[in-house]
Amino acid sequence: MMTCEIFRSTFHADTENAALLGHLRTCDRCLDFAANVDPDVMFRALGGEDLVPPGGVELFVDDVMRQVRVRGAEKVATIQRPVSWMRRLAIAATLATAVTSGSLVYRHNSAIPSSMMTSIKRAPIAAHQIALVTKPIVETYESQSATIMEVPNEPNDDVKIVMIFDENLPADL
Amino acid sequence: MKRLLTIALALLFVTASAFADDAAEPAKSLLVRTFQLKFKKAENAAALIKPLLSEEGSMSIRATGNALVVSDRAENIKQVVTALQDFDVEAQPFRLSVRLVSAGRAAQNEARVPAELRDVAPKLALLRYNALDSVGGAEVEGKEGEPGQIDLTSYRADFKFGEYDPASDSINLVDFKLSQLTGDQLTQVMKTTLNLKLGQTVIIGATKNAQSQRALMIVFTAKR
Repeated sequence: MMTCEIFRSTFHADTENAALLGHLRTCDRCLDFAANVDPDVMFRALGGEDLVPPGGVELFVDDVMRQVRVRGAEKVATIQRPVSWMRRLAIAATLATAVTSGSLVYRHNSAIPSSMMTSIKRAPIAAHQIALVTKPIVETYESQSATIMEVPNEPNDDVKIVMIFDENLPADL
Repeated sequence: MKRLLTIALALLFVTASAFADDAAEPAKSLLVRTFQLKFKKAENAAALIKPLLSEEGSMSIRATGNALVVSDRAENIKQVVTALQDFDVEAQPFRLSVRLVSAGRAAQNEARVPAELRDVAPKLALLRYNALDSVGGAEVEGKEGEPGQIDLTSYRADFKFGEYDPASDSINLVDFKLSQLTGDQLTQVMKTTLNLKLGQTVIIGATKNAQSQRALMIVFTAKR
């Protein structure tokens, strides 16, 4: 087991000593020390030589670079695809036209029945009112004790009788 | 693309114009008119034109100046103008016929109907008045607002021709006062205000109660 003192006294940059690199995997303080002396020592200590991607490093690098290019192309495509002002205007105008046309159609449809209803409904009402406007024959009568009775008759009867029963009337009428 | 844009813009322009016209329409559709009446009361005119107004229409009576303020669509205002022109005319002349009939309930063999009362006899018979005597009758002419007086043997009638109501085609007989002449004294029998439909015979029967054997029948006929 190597002590920290031995490690620090024997360690130097670009060392490939397995015992020294093994100590680094167990001692953080010496790892900091070694990183200050040789920044690449940390990767060597991890055993980087054993980490070879499937298919080899070159294939891995090619794959990574292809993905980088694809991403770059996508970004370019996204940037180059914005809707032109003409298209935007056309879309806005079409939407506005659709909305206004819809509103007009709605208003037109709702306006026709209402006007028709007024003309259809009002005509009979007006005629009805004129026909039914009847005033009481006796509008006022100067006696509190009187009973006034309209004798029912046919609507088109030429003679209408209204009886006034009043105890205050003289007996010798 | 440009063609599509042009078509869309044209449509937008057309629809926007249509909306602008529509928005301006309601403001145009309601008219406000003030009608000052010369001969008739604004209250009576209001009753006449009320049925002519639409749902949007409104009307108010201006207290000063005997005027009506009407708000409605142009076509309704037109009808109102026509109606008011027909209504607000100078006092019209009317003829009023008044007959007094003494009516009694008598046995069948005592029933009597003078010739001049044959037109009303069947109606009075329904009330079991079969013994009729003519007390008097007269015809008087007068214009709206004018007073009238009729002397009928032992009775006298005072009244005033009221306003003609075109809606009910009737003339108002204001404060019709019937007085009985006893010796030199006039005793008021009744005072009433009547609405007489033109051309219709109206019989006002006056009696103490429904069981009375006698009644005084006043037969009115108003005509132009």
